[in-house]
Amino acid sequence: MNHLVSLLIFSPLVGILLLACIPGNRERWLKWVALLCTLLPLGLVFALGMVFRLGESGNQFAETMSWLSYAMQGATGTVIYAIRYEVGINGLSLVLLMLTTLLMVLAVIASWSIKHHVKSYFLFFFLLELGMIGVFAAQNLFLFFIFFELTLVPMFFLIGRYGYRDREGAAYHFLLYNGLGSLVLLIVFVTLFMVTGTMNYAELLAVLPSLSSSFKMGCLLALLLAFGIKLPMVPLHSWMVKVHVEAPAPVVMLHSGVLLKIGGYGLIMFGMLFFPEEFKELAGVLAVWGVINVLYGAFLALVQKDLKRVLAYSSVSHMGIVLIGLAACNEAGIKGAILQLLSHGLISALLFFLVGILYERNATSQLKDYSGLAVGMPVTAGLLLAGGLASLGLPGMSGFVSEFLAFLGLFEKMPIVAAVGTLGLIVTAAYVLRAILAITFGEQRSMERAVEINARERVPAFILLALIMLIGVFPNVVTAPLATLLDTILPLVRGS
Amino acid sequence: MVHYAFMIPLFPLLSFLLHLLFRKRVRSIAPILGCICTLVPLVLSVGVLIARFQGTTYTKEIEWLSLGKTAITMGVVITPLNAMMLVIVSLVSFLVHVYSKEYMKDSERLGTYYSYLGLFTFAMLGLVMSVNVVQLYIFWELVGVGSFLLIGFHYTSLAARAAAKKAFIMTRIGDVGLLIGIILLYWKTGSFSFAAIFQSVASGGISQEMITVTALLIFVGAIGKSGQLPLHTWLPDAMEGPTPVSALIHAATMVAAGVYLVAIMYPLFLASSVAMTTVAVIGGITAIFAASIGLVQDDLKRVLAYSTVSQLGYMMLALGSGGYDAGVFHLMTHAFFKALLFLAAGSVIHAVHTQNIREMGGLWNKLKFTGPLFVVGALSLSGFPLFAGFFSKDAIFAAVYHDGRYVLFFIALLTAFLTSLYMFRLVFLVFFGPAAEKIYRENSIILLAPMVVLGILAVVAGYIGSSWFGAPLQRFLHDGTTSLPLEAHGPVWLPYVAILISLAGIGVAYVRYGRRKDFHHENTSSSPVTMLLKNKYYVDEVYGVIFVKGAAFIGTIFVFVERYIIEGMVGTLASTVQWLAKCGSAFQNGQVQRYGAVAITGLALMLLLFIVLTGGYLQ
Repeated sequence: MNHLVSLLIFSPLVGILLLACIPGNRERWLKWVALLCTLLPLGLVFALGMVFRLGESGNQFAETMSWLSYAMQGATGTVIYAIRYEVGINGLSLVLLMLTTLLMVLAVIASWSIKHHVKSYFLFFFLLELGMIGVFAAQNLFLFFIFFELTLVPMFFLIGRYGYRDREGAAYHFLLYNGLGSLVLLIVFVTLFMVTGTMNYAELLAVLPSLSSSFKMGCLLALLLAFGIKLPMVPLHSWMVKVHVEAPAPVVMLHSGVLLKIGGYGLIMFGMLFFPEEFKELAGVLAVWGVINVLYGAFLALVQKDLKRVLAYSSVSHMGIVLIGLAACNEAGIKGAILQLLSHGLISALLFFLVGILYERNATSQLKDYSGLAVGMPVTAGLLLAGGLASLGLPGMSGFVSEFLAFLGLFEKMPIVAAVGTLGLIVTAAYVLRAILAITFGEQRSMERAVEINARERVPAFILLALIMLIGVFPNVVTAPLATLLDTILPLVRGS
Repeated sequence: MVHYAFMIPLFPLLSFLLHLLFRKRVRSIAPILGCICTLVPLVLSVGVLIARFQGTTYTKEIEWLSLGKTAITMGVVITPLNAMMLVIVSLVSFLVHVYSKEYMKDSERLGTYYSYLGLFTFAMLGLVMSVNVVQLYIFWELVGVGSFLLIGFHYTSLAARAAAKKAFIMTRIGDVGLLIGIILLYWKTGSFSFAAIFQSVASGGISQEMITVTALLIFVGAIGKSGQLPLHTWLPDAMEGPTPVSALIHAATMVAAGVYLVAIMYPLFLASSVAMTTVAVIGGITAIFAASIGLVQDDLKRVLAYSTVSQLGYMMLALGSGGYDAGVFHLMTHAFFKALLFLAAGSVIHAVHTQNIREMGGLWNKLKFTGPLFVVGALSLSGFPLFAGFFSKDAIFAAVYHDGRYVLFFIALLTAFLTSLYMFRLVFLVFFGPAAEKIYRENSIILLAPMVVLGILAVVAGYIGSSWFGAPLQRFLHDGTTSLPLEAHGPVWLPYVAILISLAGIGVAYVRYGRRKDFHHENTSSSPVTMLLKNKYYVDEVYGVIFVKGAAFIGTIFVFVERYIIEGMVGTLASTVQWLAKCGSAFQNGQVQRYGAVAITGLALMLLLFIVLTGGYLQ
């Protein structure tokens, strides 16, 4: 019971070990074993969710083990610096872990179409899952950084080996940008460690208020750069567009669904929680930046000719909503931002999965190559339309709740900026309908393969759609675990 | 009975889900299933109306989303206005479900059609029972989606695709206004609930400027949904949808939701004279603007669509002039006679397989039931004495006259003349004059029965709002509130003027269109005015340039930013890294002298740094 979180973090190793024992040419075996092994972390997360105590603040299931420590001669004598293995989860990481493990299962189901190097593909998958779970479960900066780095390596190979035409370029772009972000992150973490002598979140939280505010502002700006690359914030987004266009669909599901969310998680856990005063000062800048993200992404999505690029810029736009919500620094805004992280994770996973299905059949995702999809593939077209409507924030779907709350929050603080941001809602409707209707409506052309999605492909699509609608209809299901975290953050950032 | 009100929208929702999930399997019973799922709400709605008539306002809500101390709720509230709207919506929806059984029987996607109808009915019923503005907004968007799906039902047609897209985006522009209005109201009054907002408005808890701003923003939402100027262009294009859908959504219910919105937020509007004036002026201009376009259109459904825009303008004009009762009354009568007209038009189209009125004529003797029913609708719409439209239009004239804006009053009268002119232009061109040498068969009873029901209502619905019978509608609407203005009474001569105007329009129509001899007749007039009207004042063209091209232009600029500035940045970054790497590798040339030099220089630098930083002493 005490090691539940550690069990969870390292549960992907089971998959790695089992897959390692299966010969690489047994594709069916590999896929089925991979699928079964992704159920293990999922089950563990839900077990955690069942015993998670809603009313309790702080970390739960915390584990601490001494790991490495060293003594240093300081001005006041010998000081022991210790880096421990510390893990645990709070409400935010719980919901993000649910998202991660669930998308893993669905992404493996979506990976049935992978034909080459299946074994190493799934090995990278599980390594990636290990990193993603660790990022959300870590309770000190050092562990966070290790797991953060751990996600980069498998991603690099998944993009570079299994992607589309310009896959290697995209992989290098990915590595270059994220490496830069990691470097900045490392500098901040090490500096914090040097100054405070600890890396533990809770201990840092206690020590940080006493530090000088210019130092804290410097740290926050550096964090913004690091997580701004990850989120991504304009103009640091070009790598993400490349990855979304070039990486295979299941990888994009995970990347857009989970890895981008690390940026939002980092901004909340480190930016907001560690440096609330400074965050408040930057709120105006962040709000404007969020609006720029929303509009810049939306207008670019409006003129793209490739469905994948439309969705990639749509992600840029939707991540702007996260910034808008966080900049509001009130309950509605932060709740909206967190819900947007989840909601976008599910919606973009659904849409990229469908793009993958289309690409598999017709080897193109250019808008002009499609017309009248609803004739030959009515279910696929219906799912695409449902995903599009979710993306443009239709009530009854998760996107509405998050966008509504984010804008509700910002209107309290900065009504003018928020009003400009709502322009994005109109442009979003325009680009989503432009792209989706171009594909599904119109006369059917003689396409080579208008094969309806099969039973295997329906599973992830309908599960994702069901979850999108569950959050849209019963948003309290997701916001309940967040309550105690918000109780911690709100007094810190809420203005006087 | 009223405790079962929450079940009213659930049946259409069930219909939506069943039809969608079992599209293929339920195909043969789809119409029956759809009809049952709307008949039950109709019965319940009537029960609720009766219960509300005898009782008081009923409210029931549950928490939807917790937000600090306040919780956003979902629920049911039955006010007199809501109870009336429930009956109108469920009645027209039921009739359209029945009508569609025959009209859509050849459609391959009958299940999908009925599922979309179910979705729309669910959303519309949920909308008119909303307990707070958030619920209202949620269902407001959902009816928009239902409308969008049904406009685009014939999805292989490019015109349907364009129309569906346009309807969605144009109404979304309005919706964003509504959203901002709701959010501002929340921060100024601390609540989303209607009662709390009006309480705050009444007690001065919200500043006068903010009342005006929020009322105008909410009105922007109403403009979008009700096809008012300048967001009206989507509604005529929405006629690409199947005709029963036009009757239900784009005549009787959804487009009236804008009027309903203003009516339900009426205390807020009343508190701001600027907002009231705006509503009245926009309504008045829209009324005459759309009526003038209706004069020259040749598509049967488009004439009716412009008529709808015009009549919705009338309702706005009434509301903006303080005529709450008049506006709501006209909303009700219009729902009946306009739905009737659309269903009758559908019956004509079903028989002759064209929508162009210039290819019709002499159908009176061939469609022996449709013809008279269409004329009943036309008479009601034209405000012919003793028909429903006569009473409600009269109430609007009285309200506008009483309000004292005589220019708007004049516009209202002129619009009434244009209305009866364009309606009887349709009647004479379609049903009279020479006939084509073809045999048309009257449609079956399933098409006709819903029209008969609406035909009766298009006559008698006026009496419940008439002062001749003690104005029971007005008394009902005022039940339980004191904040609504009392009904205005116009001067004695007003009804006679209204009758004269109505007859004049019919007379002019007869002179111009009723006496033609040959079947094939082209519109010969090509005067600048006619061309302007035929091209709908070129509004679509102007929007096409400003907004569609404008957005694409911004997008293109961003593409250049993306390609040259941001990609350039990446390029610079990459080449910098490469350059640094090259510098580094230049040292690695395999010569020991070079390595030694680098090592010595490095050591010297480190020592220098050490001396500068620590002063040359160890601790």
